[in-house]
Amino acid sequence: MNRSALGGVSLVLHAAACLLLLAVVPLIGPSLDVPSGDFILWQLRVPRLLVGALVGGTLGLSGAVYQALFRNGLATPSTVGTLAGATLGALFVLVLGGGSALGLPAVAVAAFLGAVGLSALVLAVAARQRASMSDVLLAGIAVTLAASALSTGLQYTADSRALFAAAQWSLGSLPQVGYKAVLWLLPFTLLSSLLMLLLARPLQALVAGEEVAATQGVSIARVRALALGAGALGVAACVAWCGPIAFVGLLVPHLVRGLGAVTYRRLLPLSWLYGATLLVWCDTLARLVWPGGELPVGVVTAALGAPALIFVVARRRR
Amino acid sequence: MTKLSLRDAGLSLGGREVLSGISLELGAGDFVALVGPNGSGKTSLIKLCLGLYPQGRGEVRLDGEELRSLTPKRRAAGLAWLPQRWEPSEPLPVLEVVAAARYRLREPFRVAAAAATRALDRVGAADLAERHLDELSGGELQRVLLAAVVAQEAPLLFFDEPANHLDPQHQIATYRLLGELRAGGAGVLCVTHDINLLAHIDGAEKIRVVGMRDGRIVLDTRYSDPDLAKGLSELYLAEYAEFKDGSVRHFYLRAERTPGAFEASGGEG
Repeated sequence: MNRSALGGVSLVLHAAACLLLLAVVPLIGPSLDVPSGDFILWQLRVPRLLVGALVGGTLGLSGAVYQALFRNGLATPSTVGTLAGATLGALFVLVLGGGSALGLPAVAVAAFLGAVGLSALVLAVAARQRASMSDVLLAGIAVTLAASALSTGLQYTADSRALFAAAQWSLGSLPQVGYKAVLWLLPFTLLSSLLMLLLARPLQALVAGEEVAATQGVSIARVRALALGAGALGVAACVAWCGPIAFVGLLVPHLVRGLGAVTYRRLLPLSWLYGATLLVWCDTLARLVWPGGELPVGVVTAALGAPALIFVVARRRR
Repeated sequence: MTKLSLRDAGLSLGGREVLSGISLELGAGDFVALVGPNGSGKTSLIKLCLGLYPQGRGEVRLDGEELRSLTPKRRAAGLAWLPQRWEPSEPLPVLEVVAAARYRLREPFRVAAAAATRALDRVGAADLAERHLDELSGGELQRVLLAAVVAQEAPLLFFDEPANHLDPQHQIATYRLLGELRAGGAGVLCVTHDINLLAHIDGAEKIRVVGMRDGRIVLDTRYSDPDLAKGLSELYLAEYAEFKDGSVRHFYLRAERTPGAFEASGGEG
């Protein structure tokens, strides 16, 4: 197989294809030719599309960045404890009750704080110059296990309604009415994505290993802190609004590599674009596939993502 | 003129004394051949010189400035390194890898790619530019890394057994290239176990031979030293002999008189 099947296709063409795929999504579904058509289009489908794109893009890009940083194709946005922290925060509110803060759902605020808090713990380990990336990985696993244990403990004390709410939250979903979520996600995801996109050169140098990259002029501690910090911030905002959506961060970088993008100048922006497209289309499936209602998008990403990942990886080893 | 100087430098790793009392200078036009048994601290010394051990003791200065106070980019402008082992995490195209060695320079990719092409040409690997790392043989990979060091355009170069895994012809070509780099004004420090390869460097007689044992410098002489075989014998606890083929010196190990590292207890540092 020609290794760069689409490698020569320009970023602009990929971007155009992705934008087209995104733009048709609001037109899919029950006809808009009804009295409430305008409302459905502009207050339901378009904001949902925007949230899906911002979240999917951020998750896909952070997956690519984490995989480069850890030099490991299994790293995901959850590797440094971000998702476990969000889940713990959300469960606190779901189980112990809580209203709203700053005009935002308390669940989202708590999930965001939990995600940022636990990621900061792992980041503190990463910022130590002598820590190796496997130390950081271990810290991420330790934090994730501890948070999961606490979450399970919380659920044990909960009543059945809270348990159902927790299960619903943990599957992840994108339903939105109006633009509140878009406006809150926009600054976090854009800042996070922009910072990560700017790391293409140092991440590419890191392919040679941390020591070699350091002698070529890469400031290892700074790149680590920037990549993990920016990634955790963006992912925390996404998870806070939409729950822990599985597989996008793990799958998308492998998918984009399968398309022939090997250099980080291409891999990073394409991971954003295809992450956005993938999540939005999974969400479209989620609202169409079950006529009685809709599935949580996390179910669709996991159900399609796992076989897709296996396919991509199996095909790569010629 | 760039100069690296170590004064009474040392290093402990995990409570173990790896280097101690090291004083050494490397300047433009110098060629230092670093020799010594496995585990004697050669690689650790190179990493100390490169600033990879901020916890090191003593003084390591680049052009008079404390190495650890310099930014990674300033260090990369002075020092480049070909490590002994290198494990890329992804099968990038060769040209990208060589171009990435110019990280310290703020330049558009096409400038870096042009420099990378020249560097590949210099090591006779221009035909590898479009290949991916996982398609290369060990020898090809070694030449690509050599090109990366050349592309970094640092004045002081550190090579850790650069002819490892190479066939004899490529070994000689590699050492000739090191000689050319030195002739072009670079300062070269090269770890080697094969003293005979030094003969292929232009101006070999001026090469400084530094021998390490148990983290210390125990031999410091010139390649032209008539007693070099004796020095090597004491360094490696083996018996080296020399014969001359015209003006070319050959060193060889008198196997029948050498116990071998496994028998010589305490032989490993």
